[in-house]
Amino acid sequence: MNKHLLKKNSRAYCCMLICLLSVTGSATTVLATEARLVNHVSAKAARFDKVISGRVVDENNQALPGSNVVIKGTTVGTTADADGKFSLSVPDDTQTLVVTYIGYAVQEITIGNRTEINISLQPDLSTLNEVIVVGYGEQRKSDLTGSITSVKGEDLAQLPTQKVGEALQGRAAGVMVLSPSGQPGGPTTIRIRGMNSINGSNQPLIVIDGLQGGDINSLNPNDVESMEILKDASATAIYGSQGANGVILITTKRGKKGAPTINYTYTVGVQQLRKKLDLMDAGDFARSINDNKATLNQPGSDVIVPTPVFTDAQIAQYDKSKGTDWQNEIYRTAPIQTHQLSISGGSDNVQYLVSTGYLNQKGILINSAFQRFSLRANVNVDITKWAKFGVSWAGIKEKGNTPPFGEGASDIDPLGQVVSLAPRWGAVIPVYDELGNYSRHPSGFGEPNSWNPVASGREPFIENNTMRNNLNLYLDFKIAKGLTFRVTGGAVTANRDNYRYLNQKTLDGFKKSGTGYVNASEYARYQNSNILTYDKHLGQHHFTVTAVAEQQVEINRGSTTNASGFLVDGAGIFDLGGATTLTASSLSTKRVINSYLGRVNYSFGEKYLLTASYRADGSSVFGANNKWGYFPSVSAAWKLSEESFIRDLGVFSDLKVRGSWGITGNQSISPYATLAQIASGYNYPYTGGDVTDIGFSIIRAANPNLKWESTTQSDLGLDMGLFNGRLTATFDYYVRTTKDLLMSRQLPTYTGFSSIIDNVGKTQNKGLELTIGGDPLVGDFKWNTSFNISGYRAHVVDLGGLEQLPFRTTTGAGYGFSTNNNTALLYLKPGHEFGEMTGWISEGTWKSSEADEAAKYAQLPGDIKYKDVNKDGFINRQDLTIIGHAVPNFIFGFNNRFSYKGFDLNFLITGTQGNDLFNVNRIRLERPGEGTSTALLDRWTPDNQNTDVPAFISQSTRKSSFVGVPAKVSVTDTRVSRWVEDASYVRLKNITLAYTFPGMTTSKLGVKRLRTYVTAANLFTITKYTGYDPEVSSFNSSDARLGVDFGSYPTSRSFIFGIDLSF
Amino acid sequence: MKKNFIKFYLGLFAIAGVAFSCQDLDEKPEGFVNPGNFYATIAQGEAALTGSMEALWNAWGPGYSYGYGNFIQDDQLLDGDLNIGNGFGGDLWSQHYLAINNINGVLRGIKKGSLAGVDEAELAQLAGQAHYLRAYNYFALVRLFGDLPLITEDTPDPVVTPIKTRTPVADVYALIESDFLFAIDNLPTSWGGEPGKPTKGAAQALLAKAYLTMATAPLNKTENYAKARDMAKALMDAGTYSLVPKVGDVFMPENKFGPENIWSFVSTSDDVTTDPQIWTPEIMDGWGDASIDVLWAENWLDKRPDEPRQDAYLILEYDGTPWEEFTEQRPFIRKYVMPYITDDQYNNLQSTSITPIIRYADVVLIYAEAENMAAGGPTPAAYDALNSIRRRAYDLPLNVANVTVDLALGLSKEAFDKAVIEERDFELCLEYDRWFDIIRKRLLNELATKYHPENIGNVTDDDYLYPIPDFDAKILGSQNPGYTTEN
Repeated sequence: MNKHLLKKNSRAYCCMLICLLSVTGSATTVLATEARLVNHVSAKAARFDKVISGRVVDENNQALPGSNVVIKGTTVGTTADADGKFSLSVPDDTQTLVVTYIGYAVQEITIGNRTEINISLQPDLSTLNEVIVVGYGEQRKSDLTGSITSVKGEDLAQLPTQKVGEALQGRAAGVMVLSPSGQPGGPTTIRIRGMNSINGSNQPLIVIDGLQGGDINSLNPNDVESMEILKDASATAIYGSQGANGVILITTKRGKKGAPTINYTYTVGVQQLRKKLDLMDAGDFARSINDNKATLNQPGSDVIVPTPVFTDAQIAQYDKSKGTDWQNEIYRTAPIQTHQLSISGGSDNVQYLVSTGYLNQKGILINSAFQRFSLRANVNVDITKWAKFGVSWAGIKEKGNTPPFGEGASDIDPLGQVVSLAPRWGAVIPVYDELGNYSRHPSGFGEPNSWNPVASGREPFIENNTMRNNLNLYLDFKIAKGLTFRVTGGAVTANRDNYRYLNQKTLDGFKKSGTGYVNASEYARYQNSNILTYDKHLGQHHFTVTAVAEQQVEINRGSTTNASGFLVDGAGIFDLGGATTLTASSLSTKRVINSYLGRVNYSFGEKYLLTASYRADGSSVFGANNKWGYFPSVSAAWKLSEESFIRDLGVFSDLKVRGSWGITGNQSISPYATLAQIASGYNYPYTGGDVTDIGFSIIRAANPNLKWESTTQSDLGLDMGLFNGRLTATFDYYVRTTKDLLMSRQLPTYTGFSSIIDNVGKTQNKGLELTIGGDPLVGDFKWNTSFNISGYRAHVVDLGGLEQLPFRTTTGAGYGFSTNNNTALLYLKPGHEFGEMTGWISEGTWKSSEADEAAKYAQLPGDIKYKDVNKDGFINRQDLTIIGHAVPNFIFGFNNRFSYKGFDLNFLITGTQGNDLFNVNRIRLERPGEGTSTALLDRWTPDNQNTDVPAFISQSTRKSSFVGVPAKVSVTDTRVSRWVEDASYVRLKNITLAYTFPGMTTSKLGVKRLRTYVTAANLFTITKYTGYDPEVSSFNSSDARLGVDFGSYPTSRSFIFGIDLSF
Repeated sequence: MKKNFIKFYLGLFAIAGVAFSCQDLDEKPEGFVNPGNFYATIAQGEAALTGSMEALWNAWGPGYSYGYGNFIQDDQLLDGDLNIGNGFGGDLWSQHYLAINNINGVLRGIKKGSLAGVDEAELAQLAGQAHYLRAYNYFALVRLFGDLPLITEDTPDPVVTPIKTRTPVADVYALIESDFLFAIDNLPTSWGGEPGKPTKGAAQALLAKAYLTMATAPLNKTENYAKARDMAKALMDAGTYSLVPKVGDVFMPENKFGPENIWSFVSTSDDVTTDPQIWTPEIMDGWGDASIDVLWAENWLDKRPDEPRQDAYLILEYDGTPWEEFTEQRPFIRKYVMPYITDDQYNNLQSTSITPIIRYADVVLIYAEAENMAAGGPTPAAYDALNSIRRRAYDLPLNVANVTVDLALGLSKEAFDKAVIEERDFELCLEYDRWFDIIRKRLLNELATKYHPENIGNVTDDDYLYPIPDFDAKILGSQNPGYTTEN
């Protein structure tokens, strides 16, 4: 069956190939037809009286082949030939011709008596006629039928973070950007129109200069010419099985004709911790520990009253010294600097650009840093009039290190981590002991088996090197008039070398006498696209037909050697021979995608626009029974502003309604996920010593039916321009439905598996987007502003029969909840939204006056007052309910630019509204007996009853208060609304003040342009959230785990000074 | 026209290039094993069985399991209250079944003949181990969870064909018995360099224990007492294993693999789950995570004054400080720390101590219990067996009667039986054994009255079984009584 299908499919390719061949083959025929069509028009116009001929050129006197010349008010016209020449018979009374060409301003020519007219078109500077990049081609903005947002490169360059992904934040409606951690060189989460996939990635496809699967954050922001964000299915379906999460097309800068231009930019700045957590000083902490200890009176044969942990003398000493501020010990003010240098220019036939960048950033957490060196070069060459080629190469070297923080460093014992642990070490503990060694946590309070956070932060040697090479070349043929064929080939490679060594001053290193790994991996993605485009004007009709055959191969290989037991601690990971235990692992995977696709754009009279596309993708990662998937889309737009009844109103410079529908896919599962697997690495020491026997375990069951997730998206949009474009607005409403979700389908564990990846379930996501832009002030004092706001509701429709799906949001290291035993914080349930948090509602504490009421629950005044949701007199699992929502109601961005003479003030405000964060860190920071938070000072006492921090209650009092009364409150874990906080925020993300020196001054200095600026990022944030930052997501790998803050690397505030020079 | 001709052919070549370089969509994984190409050699079969032990270690590993987790609810550990809650112990269920899946893979491979041609004797030993391990896994599961989904190498793939019924306890024991009997016939008496592997003696010992369990609750098939007695006797007569004469030596590193320890969980020194500080008090720089219920310890200390075994098995003092004066004011567990590991290991948070699954002292007590019950009263052989354990506890010669230490003569069947269970409580304390005695002898009410009066209403007969994990219970359509399957 499978074989048969494949055969059928391969026959399908052959058919398509033959079609392609015959299209190319008939190139000459097409040319002939073209000529005939022109003649046909002439023939029809035979009764006309005069022939007008001429040439259409651009501002540089270059021919503009294919430009349209039409008699005004009619559909009679012609197109210019390869030399820009045209000839048109017109009636005697013809007054005016209209000449158009994509990207150029429309020109109306009064004929008068002339028969020979040369027309020079000027580039169109208004955005409507701007040409923007779309999948496998480009289009005039006003001709778009889909939802695409364009962001200019110049808006990105000033960002202190130097991450292109982050630069998108607040710039485009419907695009949510999260910086889940402030780690230098760390990841960025980008969501276009929210989330649909549960298990697969929701990260959009990044296409850099036509190469798919790029890494957005490894780009040097200064190299970006423009970014296009493709949002609706009409724009993304052309990317088929990779398009479901939206697509970001990035075009890098290329050389332009003209004398060489040299540009140099230097920036330097500092970053600092935005806020600190409120923690107790040593004296308060010691008293808190003692007070709690006194309540731990163990019932033995007699009640045993425990001895205090700290003596009064010690506490007096702590009150004087205040102890250690652990946050000050692990955070620092960190410098950041960049250099940028580029040279570009070109002659008529050859244009070039070379650009280099260097970024050196230290992180605010000790021992964290990131460096990037990038070099990008490209050349475009016109070989003949009908053939040209271009080649570009980018090399990027990245080097980063960050000590393990929070969760996610799976090979590191969670007890040895930094960000979450440092505030939990009481101020009474010194950083170093009397001998100058890192202190160990004393017994008797807190978490004695945790490791000194300064040691965990500073001591690890971590170096992650990545060398990326992006190679891209294209060859363009103009086969015939309007018919072009483009072959592109590209390779993206990344070679990684990671070293980690934990010396004997770290927990793991201590236990294993030094431990670490060397890891080397190689990633390569090759792509070949062959694009045939035919563009044809026929009077008012305009067709563009695109056909593409494409193949992509992605290869991942790597090996890791883990070592421990080092005889010499100092030599570390670079002396593997000195390690007593070595274990090695390696892997290799390959993914292949073969694709065939086509698209037709049609417009009539510039008023009615229609686009249809179709893509067939064959992917190796899917089940033997489902290798191929098919992705159609169709969209239409009506430019009302071209209709006389609207134009006559004189209000709208632009008015367009759009509608689109299409299907896209998501294939983000790992290669071989459809096959059963037995894996190594499950060793067990039958020897009784440290040498283990090799063990293999069956870890995955086969699923030959696995296929893509498919997302059906409908979009309705409205574009508006008023007052000659000084006020614009864009509005979109969409519905996205994703079915066949690639998800772990839970299996009963008696099968030997906990889950299998399967196509189960369905989600739906509906959203609104609004962008308003304008130029309220023009003239000397300019004000350009734009505001965007968007929101969506994503909910689960079906989980393949499953009632719920739990998600793990801690390692369970003492935080008290996990997915084991059904104690997950986040579940997905049919009919419910993404990001709903499950737990018990706490309504403060029981007051003394409520003692009787509390006693009904066998609780004492000062205990947490839980909400008895089902009012059955018990607080148990039946009272679990929704305690928070991780997904914002809406997100917004407000961007402003003021300019006056040489001054430029630019600021961006971003924010979210209506989202909650579960602040996991607080669970232990506020836990009696170990907590360091000042919240514990506000705990319930008979004199301080108006608080939600429970009292320290003596165990023997509790036991004697309710003898023989069974427990009524069984809150068995820490999922309590007390830890849920409103994480809405408004943030001045970025503010830049720049001054460009007047030309007179600069020319004296021999400089073409000189500009200086100061930028502040995250200058202020308005939020109720008490953690380090409201803009975090600790479990970033899946969107079902949004809204949890657990030991994330805090975001910094930074100040940057920059200078920009051109020669 | 010629120009167009050239263009045409350039285009043709480009497109032809695409046609010939189309990539194959079939996956041919490199560095990747699937069940179809595994189980082809003895070593691969052994690796699958090794993998099954690793799974068990995850659920049973000392410290995190006994100390915090799956067996905390007995009467010996602090914080245990004899009451099993919803969702408790679910990873024992899943890890045992994960192990069984790997074991069945080996047995299926053998049956299919994928190992055809290898040495018959080696193949028999591999099969012997597989049957042994499967029996051990089901023996643990059936005691903890009752009726089970029973999966063998002949069961259709449960991923494709879900199992919706639970096999009654008696039928599960039938498989356990036949698996152990097969193992007894096929396992060697020792493994040389790999002492952690199961032996014929281990199979005999565990089968004796299985028979004894069948004779008690919930099956109460008392005809199995005789079988338990005979199986234990056969092992005792073989002389392969014996009691270590001095009680302080039982857990010494040199005795990790015999003569008394028959089969144990073993770990490497860098295993993060075996940090010995889990077991020790603050005064020893420990973390005090796993310690002993004071009332339980006082019971033992009161009943057997000055018994050297107490110091061998418990931390009752450190450096002259008695346990009453520890910060925690309770005794701790010594079986897994010094002197059974070195100070260096301790200071480096390392441990290579073992956790016994079955040891000879257990076999001797099985014999004593079964002999008494089968004979309808304590025979001299039953007395000898029990007394050998009591004498060893005082470092006395095993075979020399001692009036102060020996059990009083002339006890009834019931009184002797009670004495055996008490001896097991002390001798096998904190070795994962107590909970199984509590359930097979139905001791919950008695122990709740004695140690946890505050919890009397909460402890019921439903606590004799652990709950089945919710999702599995839903698929099976049944949960153990007293547990609710909900969110």
